[in-house]
Amino acid sequence: MTIRMVTLAAILSLPAVSCLAAADIAAGQEKAKPCLVCHGENGVSSMPGIPSLAGQQDQFLQWQLIFFRTGRRPNPMMAPLIADITDQDIRDLGAYFHSLPYTTATSDESPNPELAEKGKLIVQQHHCAACHKDDFRGERAAAAIADQRQDYLVKALTDYRSAARPSTGVAAMSEAASGLTDDDIVAVSHYLATLPPVKK
Amino acid sequence: MKNRSFRFSLAAALPLVLAAALPSGKAVAEDLKHYDSSKPSFWAHPPADWFLGDETEAQKGLAPPSGPATPTPLDELQADLKRIKLPPGFKIEVYASNIPQARQMAWGANGTLFVGSFLATNVYAVTDQGGQRTVKTIIKGLNMPTGVAFRDGALYVIDIDKLLRYDNAEANLDKMPAPVVAYDDMPPYTSHGWKYLVTDKNGWMYIPFGPPFNIGIPPTSVSQIRRVDPKTGLAEIVALGVRNSVGGDIDPRSGDYWFTENARDWMSDDTPSDKLNHITRLGEHFGYPYCHEGDIPDPKFAMGHKCSEFTPPVVKLGAHVAPLGMKFYTGNQFPKQYKDNIFIAEHGSWNRHKYQGGRIERVVVDPDGKNPHQEVFASGWITGERDYFGRPVDILQAPDGSLLVSDDWAGAIYRISYKK
Repeated sequence: MTIRMVTLAAILSLPAVSCLAAADIAAGQEKAKPCLVCHGENGVSSMPGIPSLAGQQDQFLQWQLIFFRTGRRPNPMMAPLIADITDQDIRDLGAYFHSLPYTTATSDESPNPELAEKGKLIVQQHHCAACHKDDFRGERAAAAIADQRQDYLVKALTDYRSAARPSTGVAAMSEAASGLTDDDIVAVSHYLATLPPVKK
Repeated sequence: MKNRSFRFSLAAALPLVLAAALPSGKAVAEDLKHYDSSKPSFWAHPPADWFLGDETEAQKGLAPPSGPATPTPLDELQADLKRIKLPPGFKIEVYASNIPQARQMAWGANGTLFVGSFLATNVYAVTDQGGQRTVKTIIKGLNMPTGVAFRDGALYVIDIDKLLRYDNAEANLDKMPAPVVAYDDMPPYTSHGWKYLVTDKNGWMYIPFGPPFNIGIPPTSVSQIRRVDPKTGLAEIVALGVRNSVGGDIDPRSGDYWFTENARDWMSDDTPSDKLNHITRLGEHFGYPYCHEGDIPDPKFAMGHKCSEFTPPVVKLGAHVAPLGMKFYTGNQFPKQYKDNIFIAEHGSWNRHKYQGGRIERVVVDPDGKNPHQEVFASGWITGERDYFGRPVDILQAPDGSLLVSDDWAGAIYRISYKK
């Protein structure tokens, strides 16, 4: 594992084409190869606690990479991988994962309508759609959370609640999560993870 | 002063009194949102509804925009600045770039420009050697270190609930000394907890304490501006009834403190107006949460108070323009009529259907607050209905009399200069 991580780190720290300002999806695809080991082929995760990234909001992804890089979102798996990535790498990676088709097939959980109903109510009370939009696929720095892995959503909300990770949008997520109980978090995560596919 | 604080605490207790005394008290208590700040848990987890609880259906989706995660590259910035409109003879250029979420700026005695940030957690030092500027991150890992000040060789930084002092800062840019806590009687919440620092001639620092929500009966230790002596930790309340203030300056003509204030949200796109205020006596009350912009009683929280009880703003700057950093102009580079004018950096809207602000405003006003006149000085940062390429945050005069403007969206500092 350690050796692989070192290799990955080496791959990621290759000098980026930093004279280009605009994000480059093709370059992002190349740079993203090490990410797919955990985040899954095509950015769809089948690993517990690891989020799917396919179709995620570009700006949200970039902010998370910034937080990982500065240590504001401490994570022992991510830290060595992204310690040396440049701003250009961050733009390319954000653009690449955003370009991948959004998937609704990431949840392992079997639907529990009662739990989902409870979660839906909490989601309404906390005005989650105000930032994450009615389809919960986010906008700008507000993450796409519809059909994300339930175990990961539980982790994310728990981390926001304890301020283990910072919030964008001023302090919106720290605020929203601060009053949730463990049961609330499971209910919210279950509701979001088992949302029916959106008809476009 | 004593009398006033007493009345203030009474007002805060009012919903409780009503709840106990009236048969329908429960309904009143539910109707009036109120917060019990007497337990530490309140401060650890401030109310979840501070800005997302009050919007109407028509306002849904107007969420706080986060800027780009990475600073705008220099060539893009230079192209963007071509859109900025200024009065004839003025010019804007990039002073320094690649400064993630640049906020308040302060000069060191030896010419170092210190810059705070927001979520980036950093404090930066910009140094200039023969026109070649270097940006260095000198402090990392602080909680919303938006406010910075420099005094007697020391850099002061606000770390949400602590005023930190870094001694002999300019000689130690490569390795800052461990900070000394100069003052920490502050709540730990981040919502409206970010701050701005203004030092008066005696070295006392004006520090705003915003309420942790949009509108409500504030806990009695917030919604105020204090003046703190960092040498002794002594503090006094200079203004009450202040919502979110993230900018101010001392009038060089009078020594009075003037400050910008962001008005409550979710009333409408056009009310209430954000404010420019002037403190003329200690403990003055500026109206929040009872009265907005000097003449609109809060529909829910006025609770019988009249606007005439409170100090009105000197200037109504407009709704959702978000005035932040401000400075009186004391330089000689700009034409004579700019002397002692106030320049205000307006951060711009986040929850107005069509953004406004995102510009620099010029206010001409007498030292006593009479004859105010405002006009747009620099504009063009808003792109389209609801987007920015940059958002002005703070203003600082450079030794040559030009103005520096920080931008936490593009992660940059601009210089505005004048030539006949």
